[in-house]
Amino acid sequence: MSEFSRIDETYSLSLSIDEAHVLINLVEQLLELLGEGDFQHHYDESDPFAQLMAMQQEVVAPEDPVLKRLLPNAYADPEAADDFRRYTEPALRRNKQGSLRTVREELTVLVDNDESGVIPNLDAQMWLKVINDLRLALSVRLEIHGESFEIFENMPDEDPQKGIYAVYFWLGWLQESLLELLTQ
Amino acid sequence: MGDTLTDSDISIEQLLERPWVCIVWDDPVNLMSYVTFVLIKLFGFTKEKAHDKMMQVHIEGKAVVATGSREEMEHHVQALHEHGLWATLQRDDKI
Repeated sequence: MSEFSRIDETYSLSLSIDEAHVLINLVEQLLELLGEGDFQHHYDESDPFAQLMAMQQEVVAPEDPVLKRLLPNAYADPEAADDFRRYTEPALRRNKQGSLRTVREELTVLVDNDESGVIPNLDAQMWLKVINDLRLALSVRLEIHGESFEIFENMPDEDPQKGIYAVYFWLGWLQESLLELLTQ
Repeated sequence: MGDTLTDSDISIEQLLERPWVCIVWDDPVNLMSYVTFVLIKLFGFTKEKAHDKMMQVHIEGKAVVATGSREEMEHHVQALHEHGLWATLQRDDKI
């Protein structure tokens, strides 16, 4: 049974191997989605010239509805929105990817070579954001518009989406429990 | 070029001085407790103010969470997007 815990300012998460696999799966799917249009650089990305050149590459509003939700327009005016996106979206994408990679790494360690079933010393703020991004991504795929719990309850067990709904609500519960610890 | 603004019109100066606002929009996914938490974290609101703003977002569909220069509001919108909140900026409607 998954559970966050906090001792002073140190946060940890205990997870079953099955739960860790579910999370890894979601994290990897989102990483893949966020990598759209991304490519491996052969030069040092911290090089100022590389950054200057990177600015020139075209950044356009994403097509995928999940990415539209995670990387939304900042302005109602399309031209202003595109301008803003050009300057800010690469960093927003990078930050989300970085957090997802860290979480993936921690989960992989747990699954591969750890029998404790605990992710110790985790960055609670980062996990909070990652869980939220995963919930947002799932909600777009499930087309959740508010009355989601009733839909889930009335769904027959054999419905293939029922399992995804269950994961969505589990993530909500997990996020809520982390928020409680953070605001204690 | 001959057109001039009358007294009852809004002057260009007033228009240009209108501040920018950062707006958070309602969505059915973000937990109410999470929205409140993010508003406290990013804007330093008291628990009560953050809760009120969150409720305004929830009930009215949106709320202005910050007012100021365009640069400041862009910075806020970016931070809100980083946290998965749906936010935009625009010129303040009110004069």
